Amino acid sequence: MDGWTRQVLRVNLSSGESRVEELDPALLVQYLGGRGLGTHFVYNEVVPGSDPLGPDNILAFCTGPLTGVRLPTGGRSSMSTYSPLTGTVLDANSGSQFGVRLKWAGFDALIISGRSPEPVWLEVSAEGVTIHPAGELWGLDIPTTVEHLHQRGTAVVCIGPAGERQVRFASIANEEGRSYGRGGTGAVMGSKNLKAIQARGTVKPSIAEEELYKFVEYEARKMVSASPRTSRGLPEFGTAVLVNLMNRYGVFPTRNFQAGTFAGAEAISGERLREEYLVKRGACWSCPIGCKRVTKTNGATGEGPEYETIYALGSNLDNDDFDTLIEANYLCNRLGLDTISAGATIGCAMELVEEGVLDAELSFGRSDLLLQTVEDIAYRRGLGDELAEGSRRLAERYGRPELAMQVKGLELPAYDPRGMQGQGLLYATSNRGACHLRGNMLGPELLGIPKMLDRFSHQGKAGLLIVIQHTNAVIDSIGLCKFVNFAIGDDFFARMMSAVTGMKLEVQDLLLAGERIWNLERLYNLRAGFTRADDTLPARFLETPLPEGSSAGHVVHLDEMLADYYRFRGWTPDGIPTPGKLAALGLDELPYLQEVVHA
Amino acid sequence: MLEQFQKFGRDLFQSGLTSSHGGNMSVRMGDRIVITRTGSMLNHLTAADLIETGLEEDDSNVMLASSELIVHRAIYQNTSALAIVHVHPPHAVALSLVEPEAIIPIDNEGSYVLRKVPIVQTELTTGSKQVAKLAAEMLREYKIFMLRGHGCFSTGPLLEEAYQWCSSLEEACRIMYLTRMLQLAQATVPSQSGAMHLEYRKHTDNYGTW
Repeated sequence: MDGWTRQVLRVNLSSGESRVEELDPALLVQYLGGRGLGTHFVYNEVVPGSDPLGPDNILAFCTGPLTGVRLPTGGRSSMSTYSPLTGTVLDANSGSQFGVRLKWAGFDALIISGRSPEPVWLEVSAEGVTIHPAGELWGLDIPTTVEHLHQRGTAVVCIGPAGERQVRFASIANEEGRSYGRGGTGAVMGSKNLKAIQARGTVKPSIAEEELYKFVEYEARKMVSASPRTSRGLPEFGTAVLVNLMNRYGVFPTRNFQAGTFAGAEAISGERLREEYLVKRGACWSCPIGCKRVTKTNGATGEGPEYETIYALGSNLDNDDFDTLIEANYLCNRLGLDTISAGATIGCAMELVEEGVLDAELSFGRSDLLLQTVEDIAYRRGLGDELAEGSRRLAERYGRPELAMQVKGLELPAYDPRGMQGQGLLYATSNRGACHLRGNMLGPELLGIPKMLDRFSHQGKAGLLIVIQHTNAVIDSIGLCKFVNFAIGDDFFARMMSAVTGMKLEVQDLLLAGERIWNLERLYNLRAGFTRADDTLPARFLETPLPEGSSAGHVVHLDEMLADYYRFRGWTPDGIPTPGKLAALGLDELPYLQEVVHA
Repeated sequence: MLEQFQKFGRDLFQSGLTSSHGGNMSVRMGDRIVITRTGSMLNHLTAADLIETGLEEDDSNVMLASSELIVHRAIYQNTSALAIVHVHPPHAVALSLVEPEAIIPIDNEGSYVLRKVPIVQTELTTGSKQVAKLAAEMLREYKIFMLRGHGCFSTGPLLEEAYQWCSSLEEACRIMYLTRMLQLAQATVPSQSGAMHLEYRKHTDNYGTW
């Protein structure tokens, strides 16, 4: 049974104790690894309703069976926890090297519980874990922390000042520039007084079936180089390639989603990024796509910005000052903030000011205040302390909850769902809140992957979205990047798994695992008190048509799609998995089911 | 939905993938199936040719549904497919009668898109439980397979994808057929390398293991 190490390293920061546990092989086949395995740990070990920033929450860094294997994009790993931003189960996925080194150290998972009395950092290797006082590291920004801890053969994850102050959308940096970004991963790490983890690993995983492995790897790289998305668009422009495209489709969020087109799009586009700011391209470990950008502006150099960041800190704030936008992106990366939630929360604040319910200097178009605002959030200074709670809490505080562009507390990414009906259903049903990485309908609704659908039609979207959600859960769990799915499909994933693990795994075995993972996440959220009423969108998307552009006049027809969605999933009309569905997924013997599922 | 069935039904017939009254298509909608009527003409589908029935249970509409309903149901019950196309592409059917285990495309497009299309056989080839069982097994792993001497079943999340696999298969088989005819014609001509065909791909032998 290659592919998995079958070992989990547990560290309790309250007691300082650690131990290595054997993982049941059946569990690994059932949940694959990564996101699936992390969800299993959270479901079984964290009581929903407890304090996500208390010692009882866990940080579960999980690798997949393909993490650390030289397949295209085989460097991904997940971090699962109970989100302090949303109150849902959360997993955040990242490229770069930490997952690779953790796997090469011999662990499928690293689970951290408790709370250290003093700030610490962890040194993880095949020999186990050593807990070091963080001392002078506490308070440092991310690049400096990584620089202190990075050594040959290691990878470092850490938090910045935002995580230390438990900003609810603080992220964990994976080396410098990549992140376990969304949902407040960094706040949980900060709540544990854990500054950083250095993983040292050098033992590369063995491959069960070399001949098949070589063939699948060769074919996969061939497909990646043949796809215009993975061989031209993303390598040439990075994810920022989407700015002008989305603007043309009228789904480029502008002024806190008050519009779907931005007059300044060209000024903050992927084309301009390439022409004027790009220093060099980069790639995560074993990635032939290379969407990473290293840029420079005003004397500073850093990674990004990604497309989502360009919306959040750009069009969403009516900001076409690319230099300031890029600097704000660097600042978020340096201080450890999720750029999407940071920008969306600032956008919410700007609309609260526009509506006259918040008295602050912030307003749409005031790019001159952006850098200071980001810093104030990270350090929880002044109004920044209120923004650090995220858009939902901010808007509720000022009595205008409808102005927070969020679902289940997670701020929307960069696609206005009024021009993409299926994307609206995705946001409403995503288990970690509004997210494009849980079954992105960008492919079928705007890019023609696998085929182009009518983006304004709500018919036929539920079934397709469900399949895509399962595929995404598989990708997040086996240790690959979703971008590789632009070039290769489920049949490749199954054969990669068979080659690496030596187990005969069919496409449908993987998709069933994806469905199992999705349902387990749903069950956790139901236990946490979420209901059908939470599977919705801000009223703006349901009631107010987009005012202009090629998606003008449209709203999201959510009710029709949601009814189909529940039925197609085999859930009750209230969105609860039926006993029959759980039995089919092998989930009928789970603990805590009586809290949410009734025969 | 009718528009989609009409579009791909027309294309299936007009591209020669099936005869006037042959072939069938369906889509899944949760616990329901919409399938073409038995005896319908894919080139001339109307609303009356789309029959809705249960995924699990029969109702009176099974009187009208395609004779392959049992196969479609088995596929949906065992896979994540949302659409199925079944047609009788002539070159693919012909090759299924001479290839022992699988059709391995030799052209570039076929290699990229299909890699390998397995062939299975049963004695009762239309609407039988044996076909239903085999189809469900094959399509858990492959997006299209051949039933020897009969035709192909293909799946996808959309009708368009299922249609594409059939179209790609037939093109690949036509190229294989033409290549073999040329090989036959050249068999006795040394200056034309006899019956060789010139390989351009790497890992050629591995396609059979896909």
